[in-house]
Amino acid sequence: MLLAGANPLLGFYALFQGALGGKSQLAETLVQTTSLLFPSLAVAFAFRAGLFNIGAEGQLIIGGLMAGVIGSQLNAPGFIAIPILLLAGAFGGAAWSSIAGLLRARFGGSEVIATLMLNIIAALLANYIIVDLMKAPGAAETAELPHSSWLPTLIPGTRLSIALPIALALAFVLRYIFDRTVFGYELRAAGSAPEAARRAGINLPKMAFTAMALSGAMAGLGGATIVTGVLHRFNVSLSPGYGFIAIAVALVGDLDPIKIIVASFGFGILQSGALTMQALAQVPKDVVSFVEGLAILALAARSFVAERLRAQPAE
Amino acid sequence: MSALQDFVTLTLVKAAPLIFAALGGVICERSGILNIALEGQLTIGAFTGVAVSFATGNPILGLIAGVAAGALGGMLLGFAATRFGVDQIVAGTGINLLALGGAAFGLTVVFGQPGASSEVPALGSSGEYALIIAAFVAALLLHVALYKTPWGLRTRASGENPRAVRSAGIDPRTVRLIATAIGGGLAGLGGVYLSLGELDLYSDGMTAGRGFIALAAVIFGRWTPLGATGAAVVFGALAALQFVLQRTGVSTDLMQALPYLAALAALTGIAGRTRAPQSDGVPYTE
Repeated sequence: MLLAGANPLLGFYALFQGALGGKSQLAETLVQTTSLLFPSLAVAFAFRAGLFNIGAEGQLIIGGLMAGVIGSQLNAPGFIAIPILLLAGAFGGAAWSSIAGLLRARFGGSEVIATLMLNIIAALLANYIIVDLMKAPGAAETAELPHSSWLPTLIPGTRLSIALPIALALAFVLRYIFDRTVFGYELRAAGSAPEAARRAGINLPKMAFTAMALSGAMAGLGGATIVTGVLHRFNVSLSPGYGFIAIAVALVGDLDPIKIIVASFGFGILQSGALTMQALAQVPKDVVSFVEGLAILALAARSFVAERLRAQPAE
Repeated sequence: MSALQDFVTLTLVKAAPLIFAALGGVICERSGILNIALEGQLTIGAFTGVAVSFATGNPILGLIAGVAAGALGGMLLGFAATRFGVDQIVAGTGINLLALGGAAFGLTVVFGQPGASSEVPALGSSGEYALIIAAFVAALLLHVALYKTPWGLRTRASGENPRAVRSAGIDPRTVRLIATAIGGGLAGLGGVYLSLGELDLYSDGMTAGRGFIALAAVIFGRWTPLGATGAAVVFGALAALQFVLQRTGVSTDLMQALPYLAALAALTGIAGRTRAPQSDGVPYTE
């Protein structure tokens, strides 16, 4: 911030003012929290299974695309339309991640490379469908969804919708699955000790495919909630990189669904405060993605430092 | 010039940055580091080159600074992966975010405007052609270095069996760190080519996924310098074809996806047996 010739105190003040300064700011921060929570849970779920899903971004885009394309054509009462659109989003995300899951399970292909490539293909596909096939006039987006398809808001006059409790519920369900179910146990075993898991009779390729599909479903659901709850249409640039930031969030949250809720809120503050910071203190909002990159590196190195510290002999 | 000559020239123009980045990827992966931050290193090189050329008025200094900055970006990955126990994929994602945000932020700091820099002294078309030739020379040099020199043997061995390298008294982590520096420097040179060779400015997102196309070229080229260069030329030809078609008004979104689809296809093994170096992406710890 000093580099940009801005007053850092004013910058921080603006960041927090913009994120937490009032009811509408707080609501917007919670909107960002929600949009980050879905892909972060998706990333954590896959990481727990030993899979690097760095394709949450693409899965989120495809999920949003499904919800937006179907939603803009569908005119039905909310209690029918909303579940259809959310399911379509989850299905789209799952289908997209399953390509990587299949390559991994069937051919042993690296899911890292596959999901990286699928991210870019997703963006190109979305652009092709919206601009070339649907001939979007003006901006690269679908028509607005009918009001009945909008997610009900929690606080009138804001964009904060029931997507937040859905995401929170998903986090608790995941925590339950990890801690209390056989499937969750097998998933973690496949991730942390694949050889032992295989000897114990766990079908690793099948587990990889399933975990990848479910992970994609969560990211896709997140994309659908952005379309139905926040933008009310699909726009090709609906994500400012949620799927990548999600990797930082998942790491900060120690891959624990409940801690990830807190981490999402922290990053949500950064996301929503960044714009205010730019307007008030002339600190460019891109500094946030710089900080997020640093956070990823620092946090990933954290366990190493902690290990070293523990290794010091106690005085 | 005939249309064919035009097309060949355009292919080489589009292939050069891919070749630099793909060679960077080959070195890193052969040493055991999966460098998914090539995109970030391209960005770092492109921006630093323009910023230094702007500050000094000398595009050659910009080129040197861009390569050095790319090398630092590579070493950031190398240090994180070999000394700090950070997962390579996680570190690579972090560096990509860092580079994109840092360059966008840097535009405001250096040029006082978001989006794109002003025009700066650039290398010109003779510099651009010199860099294209340099890309192919680099491919040959790397081929010789990887297969005919002790350094190459150590690098390849670190990517296949780092324990064996250790028992020969060499620390594979150092070998990998050097590889990331060279690899990042090459990607940085690819970035400089984009900003100071093909153009004379930096704009946000100008690398446009080339770092990921380069990763695809590495796989398609079976982790060899010459193979990756060949794949980069094919992808360059695709880009040239898009450019020609765009002028005739044909949509090219789907064509743009071809390199990435090719990478997915390569993962299925249809392009023959493709095998990454045994310890590619596997951390080495003592």
